[in-house]
Amino acid sequence: MRKIVAMLLVVMMALSCAAFVSAEDTITLDVIICQYGPKTEDWFLGTGMDGTNFVAKFEAENPGIKLNLDVVSWNDVYTEVSTRISNNKAPDILNIDVFANYAAEGLLLPVKEYCSEELFNDFFPSFIAQSVIDDTVWAVPDLASARALYYNIDLLKEAGVEKVPATWAELEDACQAIIDFYGGEVYPWGIDMTTDEGQAAFSYYVWNNDGGFVDADGNIAVNSEKNVEAIEFAIGLYNKGYTNPNPATQTRYDLQDMFGAGKLAMVIAPNQLPDYLAQKGYEGINFATAALPVNEGANPGATGVMDRVMAFKDDSLSAEEDAARKEAIGKFLTFFYAPENYVGWVSMEGFLPAVNSSVAALVEANPSFEAWLKVLDSCQFYPTSLDNWDAIKMGVINVEQNALTGGDVKTLLDELQATLVK
Amino acid sequence: MNTILVRKKWIPYLWLLPSIVLMSVFVVFPILIVFRLAFSEISRAGVVGGFTGLDNFVAAVQDKAFGTVMGNTAIWVVSVVGLSTVLGFIVAMALNTEFFGRKIVRSIVIFPWATSLVIQASVWNYIIKYEYGNLNNVLLNLGIIKTAVNWRLTYQIEFAWECGIGIFVTIPFVTFCVLSGLQSIDAAYYEAATVDGAGFWKKLRHITLPLVRPSLTVSTVLNIIYVFNSFPIVYTITKGAPANKTDTMVTLLYMRAFYDQQKGPATAMSVIGFVILCIAAGAYMMLSMRKEEDL
Repeated sequence: MRKIVAMLLVVMMALSCAAFVSAEDTITLDVIICQYGPKTEDWFLGTGMDGTNFVAKFEAENPGIKLNLDVVSWNDVYTEVSTRISNNKAPDILNIDVFANYAAEGLLLPVKEYCSEELFNDFFPSFIAQSVIDDTVWAVPDLASARALYYNIDLLKEAGVEKVPATWAELEDACQAIIDFYGGEVYPWGIDMTTDEGQAAFSYYVWNNDGGFVDADGNIAVNSEKNVEAIEFAIGLYNKGYTNPNPATQTRYDLQDMFGAGKLAMVIAPNQLPDYLAQKGYEGINFATAALPVNEGANPGATGVMDRVMAFKDDSLSAEEDAARKEAIGKFLTFFYAPENYVGWVSMEGFLPAVNSSVAALVEANPSFEAWLKVLDSCQFYPTSLDNWDAIKMGVINVEQNALTGGDVKTLLDELQATLVK
Repeated sequence: MNTILVRKKWIPYLWLLPSIVLMSVFVVFPILIVFRLAFSEISRAGVVGGFTGLDNFVAAVQDKAFGTVMGNTAIWVVSVVGLSTVLGFIVAMALNTEFFGRKIVRSIVIFPWATSLVIQASVWNYIIKYEYGNLNNVLLNLGIIKTAVNWRLTYQIEFAWECGIGIFVTIPFVTFCVLSGLQSIDAAYYEAATVDGAGFWKKLRHITLPLVRPSLTVSTVLNIIYVFNSFPIVYTITKGAPANKTDTMVTLLYMRAFYDQQKGPATAMSVIGFVILCIAAGAYMMLSMRKEEDL
């Protein structure tokens, strides 16, 4: 009996040593992924990846690397990340939209230190350019979406609007025709100036009036004449009763629901809108897309939105451990962007890709992607490489909301400009 | 003998120890951290730097929305606590009388308090929605209105809704606090007063109110704290929009911390709120206790 116990002890010791050795060889990466939709979590952690999930598949193909992956909602991700940073527990890999704050404070690793050259060259160069500060690339794009004008063909037709509005003047005429015909039963135009996405509304108007968040030299210029004119136009649409009644609290999703229910005639929305309407069960809506209306004489400006993946530094590691960690991060990216995985990820929630290698497969699966990829080519993006982008974003939303309650657009934008450049 | 005395002296503290440890870990320690952060530089990304003196407090007070939000917070706390106390008191009086189905009504009254605030606020959000709101649907079906009404026409109305929802969810707490006080009043007092010819109002003023005052004090102090710190209703209904005009202190500091990335001033705001709460709750308790002593 004693012999058996002794043998068992020896075996247990041997096993624990083995476990210790293997634990030493294992690198665990803390990863935060944003929840893009209902399928994100299932794809990364459940069974949404052909019966398995990203983590299981990655760990099976990359022995020695464990993923401690959290899927966090967009509402909570900023809180989660800053709390982790405050407690010195920044994630190894983070998927989010902004990066400049983290880069400016020296928290990020330059992409070239962990991303293979082959993968780096696979990204759309115009996308990579959006994540550069001082000639260093700090993040890579994970996906993108482009915005377009969606209009309800039947509603416009019934109201006698024969041409989809391409200019601001035509837009006002169309809105008035819809009001005249439906007498308030249908909102002609959707505006979301909420804290969720009021910056997008800002871009829809200023970029279609040759304005912008920054000037040609990249300096903040939120109070340019063009911007004042554009925002006054947008607020004018609200004041004339052409829009949804509460733009400060009705989010894009509220607008999409109204559009799906036939209560809203025109809305600017991302390329995933058809998927959204199908998922929510809105049927029988006869709609089409067009370019965003532009002010007479101005250049058209499409809005693109891009999110990113970035890696945080870990100064507590030895040179050897650091090299192994960077290699593991590189493997994560290579695996993520491999067409057999990435195509599923991008198409799952209806986004647009960020790498060339998946374009062919995506277009084959869904031919409408091609038109969107062309839109994406001409898109402008938010100036997220400015480290006070958060302040710019919240500032323009504040201006819009103040203007909705009667504030003077020029005064408000002048005040914001003064705050941002002081 | 001596040992027993010593033991007796320490035993109460021993029983209190788990509470003290829990309070220290989950209440005192976080408060100390917040105080430390309020005097520290915090970067936009969240990195905590060195001591900055009163800079965060200056920035918090100079925030353009600070004045409006302080006013909103005062309206929010006074209206919600004040009206829910009055209405809760009336409901408690009603529930203290004998009637058929009293137990069922008492159970129903607790529902709003027992449900999560976020869910309640979301449900109210649907009720008052212009386009497909339940309120409009019901009124339209009943023929009371002919076209849908925008129940959120201006931000002042939206804020009034928030206060109304706050009152609705707070009434049950006051009701049950007062009800427990009412049930402990000896019926002999009322009988004696009736014999002496006192009417309803005299009994209310001279018997009921003085004897439920301890319960009212507890419910009011706790409500001041809960309501001041209440986040879900305002955040779910308006998120402080438009331009912080419907924010209260707590929602503003959340927006500043996690939307504007101004974590230093946001932490300072939370310290300012904490101090205001301590003063308000302390003053109310002292006044109430003094009145009790005067009785």
